[in-house]
Amino acid sequence: MTTLHPDEANARRLAGLKAGALIGNPDTGDGTLIDDPAVRAPLVLGGMSFNDVTETVCGYAERGPGKWWLPATLMAASVASLIGLMVGYLIITGVGVWGLTNQVDWAWDITNFVFWIGIGHAGTLISAILCLLKQKWRTAVNRSAEAMTIFAVICAGIFPGIHVGRVWMAWMLFPIPNYNYIWPNFRSPLLWDVFAVSTYATVSALFWYMGMIPDLATLRDRADRRLREAKAGGPAALKGDGIRAFAYGLLSIGWRFSGRHWHRYEAAYLILAGISTPLVLSVHSIVSFDFATSILPGWHTTIFPPYFVAGAIFGGFAMVLFLLIPARELFPGMKNLLTLRHLENMAKILLLTGSMVGFAYAMEFFIAWYGANDYEKEVFINRATGPYWWAYWTMISCNVISPQLFWFRRFRQSPLVIFIVSVFVTIGMWFERFVIIVSSLHRAFLPGEWHMFHPTLVDILTFVGSCGLFLTLFLLFTRFLPMFAIAELKAVMPESSPHHHGDSHGKGAH
Amino acid sequence: MSHAAVAGHGDHHGHDAHHGPDPRVLLSRENIYLPEGAGKGVSTILLGVGAVCIALTVAGAVVHGPKHALASYLVGVMAVMAMSLGAMFFVMSQHLINAGWSVTIRRQAENIMSLLPFAVALLIPYLIAQLLLPDDMKLIQWMRSDMKGDYLLQKKAPYLNEPFFVIRSLLYIGVWLYLCQRLWSHSVTQDRTGDRTETVKARRMCTWGMFAFALSVAFASFDWLMSLDFRFFSTMWPVYIFAGCAFSSVALMAIVIAVLRTMGRLTGVVTQEHSHDLGKLMFSFSVFWAYIAFSQYFLIWYSNIPEETAYYLHRREGGWEVLSALLCFGHFVVPFLILMLRKVKQSSLALAGVGLWMLLMHVLDVFWIVRPMVYASAPADTSASGVAVWLDIVAISGIVAIYAGLLIRKVASGVLIPLNDPRQDEALAHKNYV
Repeated sequence: MTTLHPDEANARRLAGLKAGALIGNPDTGDGTLIDDPAVRAPLVLGGMSFNDVTETVCGYAERGPGKWWLPATLMAASVASLIGLMVGYLIITGVGVWGLTNQVDWAWDITNFVFWIGIGHAGTLISAILCLLKQKWRTAVNRSAEAMTIFAVICAGIFPGIHVGRVWMAWMLFPIPNYNYIWPNFRSPLLWDVFAVSTYATVSALFWYMGMIPDLATLRDRADRRLREAKAGGPAALKGDGIRAFAYGLLSIGWRFSGRHWHRYEAAYLILAGISTPLVLSVHSIVSFDFATSILPGWHTTIFPPYFVAGAIFGGFAMVLFLLIPARELFPGMKNLLTLRHLENMAKILLLTGSMVGFAYAMEFFIAWYGANDYEKEVFINRATGPYWWAYWTMISCNVISPQLFWFRRFRQSPLVIFIVSVFVTIGMWFERFVIIVSSLHRAFLPGEWHMFHPTLVDILTFVGSCGLFLTLFLLFTRFLPMFAIAELKAVMPESSPHHHGDSHGKGAH
Repeated sequence: MSHAAVAGHGDHHGHDAHHGPDPRVLLSRENIYLPEGAGKGVSTILLGVGAVCIALTVAGAVVHGPKHALASYLVGVMAVMAMSLGAMFFVMSQHLINAGWSVTIRRQAENIMSLLPFAVALLIPYLIAQLLLPDDMKLIQWMRSDMKGDYLLQKKAPYLNEPFFVIRSLLYIGVWLYLCQRLWSHSVTQDRTGDRTETVKARRMCTWGMFAFALSVAFASFDWLMSLDFRFFSTMWPVYIFAGCAFSSVALMAIVIAVLRTMGRLTGVVTQEHSHDLGKLMFSFSVFWAYIAFSQYFLIWYSNIPEETAYYLHRREGGWEVLSALLCFGHFVVPFLILMLRKVKQSSLALAGVGLWMLLMHVLDVFWIVRPMVYASAPADTSASGVAVWLDIVAISGIVAIYAGLLIRKVASGVLIPLNDPRQDEALAHKNYV
C-alpha cells in the first residue's frame, strides 16, 4: 500500500512530521505496521466505505465464503461423526474402552475438557475484557472469537458428561430431588465446575447472540429487499432469500435500528462485558481447583488459578490465530478487515501469556524444591526426566520457547510464522493438561501403584472427533452468520468520527 | 465497543478551536507547574514528624527489643516500596501497550516511582541489622544460628543462606534502580528535547524490563517477606505481593492528582474522564487482590497441609483474626462497593478519599504479613498482637511521613505532566462516552 490512509496522513500532519520522519516504515506489509507512537494504525484498509464493509461481511453469509467451503465442511463433519461413534461405543460398552488404569483414572477425558474450555477463554477476553479496556482492534476478531468460545464450550461439555461412567446418571450432577435421596457433594470443586461452566456457556451464548442481533437484522433486511425488488420486476433474488428473510427475521427479534434500540443495546453490551469478565476468570480458576484443592503432589499449588487463566487465554488466542489466519487468505476481502497489525497484536499477547505460563512453571518448580516436600520434588523431577519426559519437554518447547520468536518483529509480522507458532501452542497447551493430569497420577506413593497410561484408539478418535465437531461448527458459523460485528467495525473507521472532514463518507450505511 | 471506540480519535480533536479548548491554554505554565515553593511547609513538617517518629522507633527498639522495632520498620519500608514498585509497573505497562489516555497522569506515576531509591535506602539498614544483630534480636528466623539445625532449613540452605541472600538482594535493588532511572530519564529527556523516539526507546526497554521486573519482584517477595517464616511456601506469594503493589500505587496516584486539581492545576489536562479510568483501575486491582488472596487462602485451607496452614493458623488467633477479617472487608468489599459508583470514580476528591482508605488497608496488609512473625516463636503468647502497638504506629507513620514529604517535594519540583509526548493530544481529548 503506497497511498496514505487519511487517518495516518492526518496524524502525520498533527505531529508536524514530514513523511520521512515517521518511525517505522508505513510501506511495509499492508501499511498498518507503523511503529510511530503518534500514529494509530488504521483498522480497516482498502479505502472501504461503510457500504463496502456491509457488502463484504454480508457477502460471506449470502454468497458463501468460496467454493472450498462445502468440501471442507463435509470433511470436517465426517471427522466430527467420529465423536458420535466413539461416544456411542463408550456408552454401550463402558469406560473400559479408554486406557484408564487403577492409578491413572483421569487422563484424556479431563485433558480434553480442560483443553477445550481453555480455548474458549480467548473469545471472552476479546469480547469482554478488551471491550472494557477500549481496545478498538478487537472489532476485527471479536465475533468469530466469541463463536469459537461457544463451540469450544460445547466440545468441552461433552467430556465431563461422558467420563462419569454411567452417562444416563449424569443428570445427578444437578441438585434435583430424586428417589435415591442422592445429592451432589457441594464441597467438591467438580460440582462447582458444573455450575461455573454452565453459567459461562449461558452468558457467552447470550453475549454472542445479543451482539449479533443488529447484523442479523441487516441480513434480514437485505434478503427482504431483494425479494421485494424481484417481485417488482427488479433483479432476481438470491437462492434461499425466502428462508433467509424468515430465519434472520425470527432471530433478529424485531430489531429496527432505532436510536432507542441502539441505546439499550450498548448498555446491555457493557453490562454483559462486565459480567463476563469475572466469569472468565472464575471458570478456569474453578477448573484449577479440581486439581489444586487435592493434596496430590503436582496438583496442589496455590498459583494454579491465575496460572490456569493465563494458560487458557494463551491457548485460546492460539486457536483464534489458527482459525483466522487461513480464513484471512480464503475469504474475499478479509485482509482489509483483519490486518497485519491485528495479527501482530495477537502475537504479542501470545508472547506475554506464554511467558506468564512459563513464569508459573518456573515458580512451581522452584517451590517444589523450596517447599522441601520430597514427594512434590520427585513429581517435578519425574515430569522432566521420567517416562513422560517427552510430554513435559513438548509442553515447555511449545508453550514457553516457541512464542519467544515474537521478540523479533520479522516473525510476529509474518502470518505464516504466527500460524506455525499457533499450531505449536495449541499442541503445547493440550500437553500441558496431559502433563499435569497424567504425570502427577501415574506415580503414587508406593511403587506397586505405578502405572503408565496408554491411550486406546477410542481415546484418540474421541479427541479427533471433538476437533472435527469444533471445526464443523465454526465452518457453519462462517457460512450462515455474520462473521464480523458490522456496526463495531464501522465505529472504528475514521468516517464515524463526528469531526471527520474527509470526502470518503460511505454511500449510505445499509 | 462502538460508543467508546469513537472517543479515542485524538487526531481529530484538540487542534480545532471549534471542538475543544485550545491546547495552548491547557498547557500554559500556570496549569502544569506548581507555584514556586508550593508544598514546602507541609513537606518540611512531614519530614520533621518522620524524623521524630524514626527517633522514637529507635527508642522503642531499646525498650521493646530491636526485633519488634525492626518488624514495624520493615512494614513501613515494604509498604512504601510497594507503592513505588507498583507505580513503576504502571509506567511500564502504559508504555508497553502504547496507551494514549494515561499520558497526562503518567508523570505522577513517575514521581511515585522515582522514590524507589529512598525506599531502598531505608531497606538497607534493616538488612544490615538482620545480618549483624545477635540471634535473639533477629526477625528473620532462618538467620539465627540456633535454627541452622532445623531439618527443613537444612534442605533449604542452598537458597536460604546469608551470602546468597545478600547477592540476590543487591541484584533486585540494582535491577529496580536501573529500570527506574532509565524510565525517568526517557521521560524528562523528552520534556526537554521533544524527541519522539524517546517514547519508542522507553517502550522497547519495557519489553525486557517487564520480565526483569516480574522475576525480581517475585524473588524479592520470597526473600524479604515469605522467608520470614522459612517453613511456609506458596507459589501464589509473588502474585499476592504484586497485587498489593498495583493496588497501592493507583490509590496514591489518585490522591496526588486530587491534591493537584484542588490546587487549581491540570484543569482540562487531567479531567473527570481520567479520574474515571483511574477509578476503574483502583476497582479492578482491588478485585484482583481479593481474587489472589482468596485463591491462596482457599487452596491452603482446603488441602490442610501443616507446613502451609501454619501461616494462616497463626493469623487466626491472638487478636490477628480481627485484622484478617478487617482486610477481607476493608481491602476488598469497601472499595469494591464504593468504586462501583460512577460518580465516585469521576470525582477526583471522592477518589482520593477512597485512595486514602486503600492505602491504610495496604499498610495493614503488609502489617498482617510481617508483624505476627515477631512473637511467632512463642505461640502461647496469645496477646502478641497487642504488644507495643505504639511502636508499630510510630515506625510506620515515620516512614510514611518521610515518604509523603519527599513525594511532595518531588511533585513540586518539576512539570506536572510529561511534555511533548506524541500521544498527548489523545490524552487531552480522552472521553469515556461519546
